[in-house]
Amino acid sequence: MKRMSTKSIAVLSSALAFLASSVADAKDFLVTGIKPDKLVVVDAAARKVDKVYTIPNGGPGPLTITVSPDGKTAYSVVNRWESVSGIDLETGKETFRVDLSSEGERVKIMFGMDISPDGKELALYESAVKLGLGEYEVQPTRISFYDTSNGSKIRSIPAPRQVTVMMYSTDGSKLYGMGRALYVIDPANGNIIKENKTQAWDRANYYPPDILDVWSQWEQAGIFSTPYYAARSDMSLEDPAAYWTGMLTLDLKTGDFNLVDVENTDIFYFSTVVSPTEPHIAFGVYNNLAKLDMKAGKSLGRGELDHSYYDINISSDGKEVYVGGTMSDISVYDTTTLKKIGQIDMPDGANMGISSMRVFKR
Amino acid sequence: MKHLKPANKKAAEYASAADEGREEEVRLMQTMVGCTATLDPGWEVDAFGGVAALCQPMEADLYGCADPCWWPAQVADTLNTYPNWNADAPSAQRDWRKLQSVFPEET
Repeated sequence: MKRMSTKSIAVLSSALAFLASSVADAKDFLVTGIKPDKLVVVDAAARKVDKVYTIPNGGPGPLTITVSPDGKTAYSVVNRWESVSGIDLETGKETFRVDLSSEGERVKIMFGMDISPDGKELALYESAVKLGLGEYEVQPTRISFYDTSNGSKIRSIPAPRQVTVMMYSTDGSKLYGMGRALYVIDPANGNIIKENKTQAWDRANYYPPDILDVWSQWEQAGIFSTPYYAARSDMSLEDPAAYWTGMLTLDLKTGDFNLVDVENTDIFYFSTVVSPTEPHIAFGVYNNLAKLDMKAGKSLGRGELDHSYYDINISSDGKEVYVGGTMSDISVYDTTTLKKIGQIDMPDGANMGISSMRVFKR
Repeated sequence: MKHLKPANKKAAEYASAADEGREEEVRLMQTMVGCTATLDPGWEVDAFGGVAALCQPMEADLYGCADPCWWPAQVADTLNTYPNWNADAPSAQRDWRKLQSVFPEET
């Protein structure tokens, strides 16, 4: 091995310093969809819309959105949920497209989409129906993998029914699917490695929980989270104290799965996000914004919102949360005071509806 | 099929399928035709028996529920049958007057 010269060490050091500062200086951007066919990029700190792109055949609006690990491409479920369009976030050009339906078979995808950590494969949870002349035949559900470089299908694996959101483990070796359980799936062959029980939990004195999770937002903390709602079986169902709200979390790096009750159910949350700086803290959104302590198992406070919001996401420094979806504004709240500190209006008042709201950095 | 005249759409499908040798594909439907069998209470009542936990205002929830066919009995199905129902009304709170009732189309 050659010894490095002083000069080359200096060059290397400055290159590393530049790289470190680039990472440190990377800004948070939000990406979401608005009706009827637009992808919107928001500069979070500047509180302004940065880019608006039209997705070809994008109606009735982008649904689930996944950003490539390099932050260059946003993949959106479009075309009445029968296609995925990859849009270059700098140029707005469509650089990836898969149209899933074919003559005689209609294929829908909804919320189950994620990209492998190496950026090479896009995993889609597909529900297919064969269209006969007089009958529709529901086909087994499956997960298909597409090559992000050219849109070709690599393979399909069988998958349990009723899976909504899907996410890769940090190392890419597993796929997690939130359905009647939180399934741990081998992306190579579809084998169910493990089922983290939810509907079939054996928790004493509790009925099975209700879980509705269709929003993807785990990129900041690397922890998937969703609220659950469960009633106690050892109490009268006439008693409001019998109903409990809890948090389900899955660490995408370690696979740790946790369920913890956080408060008596008197309001709902549609989606939650875990803080990247305090991983025992989560924020929930719907008609209220709440701060939830998953270590202590209690709420740390809540505030009413201007209107209902479906989505929530969080800044990289953990200091502010973004609430979006439903109507036509993303509002910004301080994570300490839960007070509103900003608002970004969508172009032309268009609704986000049920679209994802993801964070990426560049 | 020379002496039988189709009396309805289903029979016409069968007649044309027989001509194409595809009559096995024409069968009685076993399930609802539509994108979901969900029939949620929707806008009427929340899980607590009141309305405070419903979306506020209703327009905030309209497209989030209409587009995924959450309330197929109450609003048009934009996924399959009426894809352009809200295409000219991107803002529910502003454009709701453009949203119309839908009816089965004659074919």
